[in-house]
Amino acid sequence: MKNIKPTSTLARLFRREIGSESLTAAAPSPVAATTTTTSEFQSAKPYEEIPGPKPIPILGNTWRVMPVIGQYTVSDTARISQLFYQHYGKITRLTGLIGRPDLLFVYDADEIERVYRQEGPTPFRPSMPCLVKYKSEVRKDFFGALPGVVGVHGEQWREFRTRVQKPVLQPQTVKKYITPIELVTNDFISRIENIKDHNDEVPADFDNEIHKWALECIGRVALDVRLGCLQQGEAGQLSPDSEPQKIIDAAKYALRNVATLELKAPYWRYIPTPLWTRYVRNMDYFVEICMKHIDAAIERLKEKKNNNAQVHESELSLVERILAKENDPKMAYILALDLILVGIDTISMAVCSIMYQLATRPEEQEKIYQEIARIAPDTSKPLSPSDLDRAHYMKAFIKEVFRMYSTVIGNGRTLQNDMVICGYHVPKGVQVVFPTLVTGCMEEYVEDAATFKPSRWLKESSGQKLHPFASLPYGYGARMCLGRRFADLEMQVLLMKLIRQYKIEYNYEPLKYKVTFMYAPDGQLKFNMINRNNLNQSPSIAND
Amino acid sequence: MTFILETIRSLTCRFNSALRASCHKNQTRKALHTSAGLLHGEYEFQDPKSEDEVVNITYIDKHGKKTPVRGKVGDNVLYLAHRYNIEMEGACEASLACTTCHVYVHHDYLDKLSEAEEKEEDLLDLAPFLKENSRLGCQITLTKDLEGMELQLPKITRNFYVDGHTPAPH
Repeated sequence: MKNIKPTSTLARLFRREIGSESLTAAAPSPVAATTTTTSEFQSAKPYEEIPGPKPIPILGNTWRVMPVIGQYTVSDTARISQLFYQHYGKITRLTGLIGRPDLLFVYDADEIERVYRQEGPTPFRPSMPCLVKYKSEVRKDFFGALPGVVGVHGEQWREFRTRVQKPVLQPQTVKKYITPIELVTNDFISRIENIKDHNDEVPADFDNEIHKWALECIGRVALDVRLGCLQQGEAGQLSPDSEPQKIIDAAKYALRNVATLELKAPYWRYIPTPLWTRYVRNMDYFVEICMKHIDAAIERLKEKKNNNAQVHESELSLVERILAKENDPKMAYILALDLILVGIDTISMAVCSIMYQLATRPEEQEKIYQEIARIAPDTSKPLSPSDLDRAHYMKAFIKEVFRMYSTVIGNGRTLQNDMVICGYHVPKGVQVVFPTLVTGCMEEYVEDAATFKPSRWLKESSGQKLHPFASLPYGYGARMCLGRRFADLEMQVLLMKLIRQYKIEYNYEPLKYKVTFMYAPDGQLKFNMINRNNLNQSPSIAND
Repeated sequence: MTFILETIRSLTCRFNSALRASCHKNQTRKALHTSAGLLHGEYEFQDPKSEDEVVNITYIDKHGKKTPVRGKVGDNVLYLAHRYNIEMEGACEASLACTTCHVYVHHDYLDKLSEAEEKEEDLLDLAPFLKENSRLGCQITLTKDLEGMELQLPKITRNFYVDGHTPAPH
């Protein structure tokens, strides 16, 4: 047992050395590995020589809708990004974009590593101009000096992140949410039982149900409340003016129209279009909901304190930990808003993608089922942190889905200093894009890249090439995804419960993946959710 | 409102110290371990109460300078380093979100550490100058078995912009 650790690190080291020469043989000193030296600048080729499509003719109008790279990456970017790599090679410059800096696509994992490693204490991560405008202009008075983490930069960002990141990322806080998330997931499963037809098939808009589950999860975490989005209501539907339905509508609106606002109709930057006005109203509604539930949490905390003088920090929820530490409840309002805005679509689209991959890869699904049946066979027992820890193959499966079908197709940084990248002198201010969807599938960084193979992520697969910076769905460094641990937890709990209970099938024409705002299967997710209890027990299941 | 929260905070603190004291008495390391993450390094700033709990370790900085430190059972290696002004950053404050407390553990002691969790390993994958004896300092808690352990700091943990800076102790 104890011996596993050193060998596994060795294995990882081995993988890395094959993939990443810049940090080993080619770079004897740490200086060369991380920073750009004067001599490098002198011998670098000029920025203008970086290949790329010339403004206008080649892409026609497509480039005009090139989106902003960030948390939410964009419309045709996945396709364009792949084409760029094929046409221009490992570095491609997209210039002549109206009202925004050049985009520089980098498809070299070693160079991506160098860019990430040279970033200062407050990396600049471009994202969501709509939200930036809302926070910094429209509702400037509310957001004030510490407007959160999404779309915020510099010291303001660092201050906020430092204050919230412990409760949000620390495994010991996060694991307290296994049971709450499991309870939400139980409601989701009851909902599945109610909506599936006599052939065990769920309705065509099943993605909406996943969406509601994600919303309910994030409400539980960020607002300390059960929003009730999975309630069945009368005739199986929520009433249109109920709060949960209004929140669902607002979240749906955000998902569908933010893409349009940011990509297709960015006129709001200049004049308040009707779409923009609606966006602001929608955001105001989110803020209102956050304030309402956080205020209720403040009351509960007071109550707790009145009833029990000794409130230990470990008994507090995430929201209460923030409230107990901060004098101004605004920190909690804004954190909740940020978590909700980025925590619904990302997680629900990822779940759509993972479920589709499970349904279309029955052998993989069976392997995961066998693992879960071994770890947590008793459906009446709540899941424990150790159950999740031991679900290695299930977690490897999720990683592999993200490698080949990364929900977030890329990440980005605005350079805060000049830098030499791929031998070119790149000036500061340029937005460097790391298309993880492309680099994660490049043979030179990932062995047998075209094959879907979860086992490559397991400790035992030593010696298989896997560059650590090729597939980074959560980003890296000081601005690594703040919600990462909660996202992982929610997905792991859901998968464990779904796979333990159901055999998931998909019996229609294969779906194509498409980028709307994120990369996910495009079409109706009419899964068959077959209760495993009703399956004819196959020998392999019965004997395990 | 503010008043109430302040009260809760001070109560929480008091409760923390009470808990720590009782853990010491009973030597229930496990209970202490689960609460250790919430202590923000205060525990490491207390001197060992008896020789029984002393654990001597040595930090070796990136220039090779050795600093022997008299720690105690239950100390977190990251916060202990802060107490003695060792340049171990710990930017994410033991939230398992960065690799700025990356250390090389002397081989003789590697097997005595508890096995790294998957989350720690995933982060180590991204650490500069990864070696087979790499660990994150924030995940190492001192036990009697670790008496005499040497921890070597890597040349860089993140990059040169940040690595020039010396972390201030809490």
